[in-house]
Amino acid sequence: MTLSTSEHPVGEGPQAVADGPQADRVARRRLGGTFWLAIGWVSLMSVAAFAAPWLPITDPEEIGVGGRLEGPSWDNWFGTDTNGRDMFARTIWGARISMVVGFVSIVAGFLIGGTIGVVGGYLRGRTDRILGFGIFVMFCFPAFVLALLIIAVLGQSLWIVAGVLSVLSIPTVSRLTRAITMLFAEREFVAAARLLGATNRRVMVREILPNVLIPMAALLLLGLGITIVAEGGLAYLGLSVVDGFSWGKMIQLGAAPRTLRAGPWVAFFPIGAMFLTVLSLNWAGDRLRQHFDIRELGIGAR
Amino acid sequence: MVFLARRLAFMLGVLLTVTFLLFAAMNVLGDPLFNVVGFYAAVDCDAVLAGEIEDVAGMGGTSFGDCQVVAAAKEKYHLNDPLPVQYGHWIANMFQGDFGRSYKNNMAVSTILGERLPKSLLLMGMSVIVALGVSIPWAVAAAYRANRRLDRASTAGAFGLLSIPNFALGVIFFYFFVVRWQIFPSRFMDDNLGSRLHSLILPAATLGLPLAAVYQRLLRTDLITTLQEDYVIMAKAKGLSDRWIMFRHVLRPSLFGMVTVVGLNTSALIGGSIIIEQIFNIPGVGRELYVSMVRDDYTVVLAAAVVLTAGFVIINTAVDLFYSYLDPRVSRDA
Repeated sequence: MTLSTSEHPVGEGPQAVADGPQADRVARRRLGGTFWLAIGWVSLMSVAAFAAPWLPITDPEEIGVGGRLEGPSWDNWFGTDTNGRDMFARTIWGARISMVVGFVSIVAGFLIGGTIGVVGGYLRGRTDRILGFGIFVMFCFPAFVLALLIIAVLGQSLWIVAGVLSVLSIPTVSRLTRAITMLFAEREFVAAARLLGATNRRVMVREILPNVLIPMAALLLLGLGITIVAEGGLAYLGLSVVDGFSWGKMIQLGAAPRTLRAGPWVAFFPIGAMFLTVLSLNWAGDRLRQHFDIRELGIGAR
Repeated sequence: MVFLARRLAFMLGVLLTVTFLLFAAMNVLGDPLFNVVGFYAAVDCDAVLAGEIEDVAGMGGTSFGDCQVVAAAKEKYHLNDPLPVQYGHWIANMFQGDFGRSYKNNMAVSTILGERLPKSLLLMGMSVIVALGVSIPWAVAAAYRANRRLDRASTAGAFGLLSIPNFALGVIFFYFFVVRWQIFPSRFMDDNLGSRLHSLILPAATLGLPLAAVYQRLLRTDLITTLQEDYVIMAKAKGLSDRWIMFRHVLRPSLFGMVTVVGLNTSALIGGSIIIEQIFNIPGVGRELYVSMVRDDYTVVLAAAVVLTAGFVIINTAVDLFYSYLDPRVSRDA
């Protein structure tokens, strides 16, 4: 998946032009209601996933709560699956593994890849070349094929799945971090810190890192969307976490031809939940990226 | 020319590195011997053959004969040699077209993959055609009236398309077009070219449409940038029609930025095709990789992974070369 390129090269449309630069600036410095709506959905999903055991919903593994493959009703909001399990409870429980694997892998990937990117982008020279070569080799593998192979060989525990996905996110993350770091490494405040005798480590942690963190937050949201989808893909092939189930696993179960014919909702509710979550993450990430994109600020903006 | 040679040599180096890593990983993490002889792999056969142990309790009576089989298998698959030597044997065979034999049905792996590869290539080709065929007119239409209602709606549409996981899109398509309306077959029909193309339309759309959304966003931005050029105003002043300007003067220079991304995403298709081939029952390389993985068919898994990875590396190199052909500055810098 590609991170989107910069938007609106000709201004924000007729509205912004009509209201003049002042209004344009104000409009641009707000993240907008849709951003908070998207963040709200992701938070709601995270909370629901976290609190699933304590929520007043039926047991997702309990067989025969309703009839087999019954459509959405007042009792079972999302219908029931082939074993008569409540799909609403399952959709909430399914969020648990999807979200946990997504979170853990992207955060770990950012910690490692981000460190590599900052160190390489700031120190340059030989360190950068060595790190860059490692990253290059990682880029040479088709990521998803590699994930399948490693998980098939190592096993399907939560930590292995999350670990593999995080390793696979390292090359992209470190390359982006490196590019952002290089922008800041040339700036005056970094030169000033070095003149004052700050060590490389101090410059990286105190001067570079706080500046890099902001654009990285946007990338983190986009990346989370990608890892959730990747986990879904693995789960669809039956190669994600064995214990429990995630949205991908539910989609796989619902996509069996007979189930799909008789009860499309079994596949479609987890698809919907996943789609809304990924859409929200993409949207929020994109808004945040635009919000902090230096290139897109006018001269008057601060 | 020097650039071409250097780039190809580099590609060969990458291929060797990548295949070695794959080979080593499969040998170190997995146990190839286990795949050949099953649980006998766990028996200390050296000791049995040397006569130190008579029989191994709990192994269903491992005898001298069983261990001879194990020893023969070790010999045959060069499992006694150090890893780099094993790799040498394996890669040398591979260059001669000998991919080994499947552990499960003893078919030549090259035959299996030779049968699967054309289908995967056809699928990928069609996906790229769908992606380009949809994205270019879409982007032109959007850029023609940038930031108007149609453009905004299409941007939202592209965003939505980008947020659907491709396997979910596949399931949705499968439900409507195969299960509900029965327009397309539920599995790959291999009767003639027409039926092949027909059964690949849906999977190609599943792979191609999200890519089309990526390309549309990119090309739209580039088109709008190009539209600001003075020569466009000039062409307009000459009285050329909008259509002529758009397609003859604006589209071509704007396509440049898309080339690299198309290449990179084409290689990314390889990963996506594994799941899509699974959903639409297409006997391609990706599906073979997956099925063999489930069956623990080690030689086939390794060969399929090498084929996919090699395809990935080759496409990336081709994109690089094509790019340097379009923009000579690239090769001068290298």
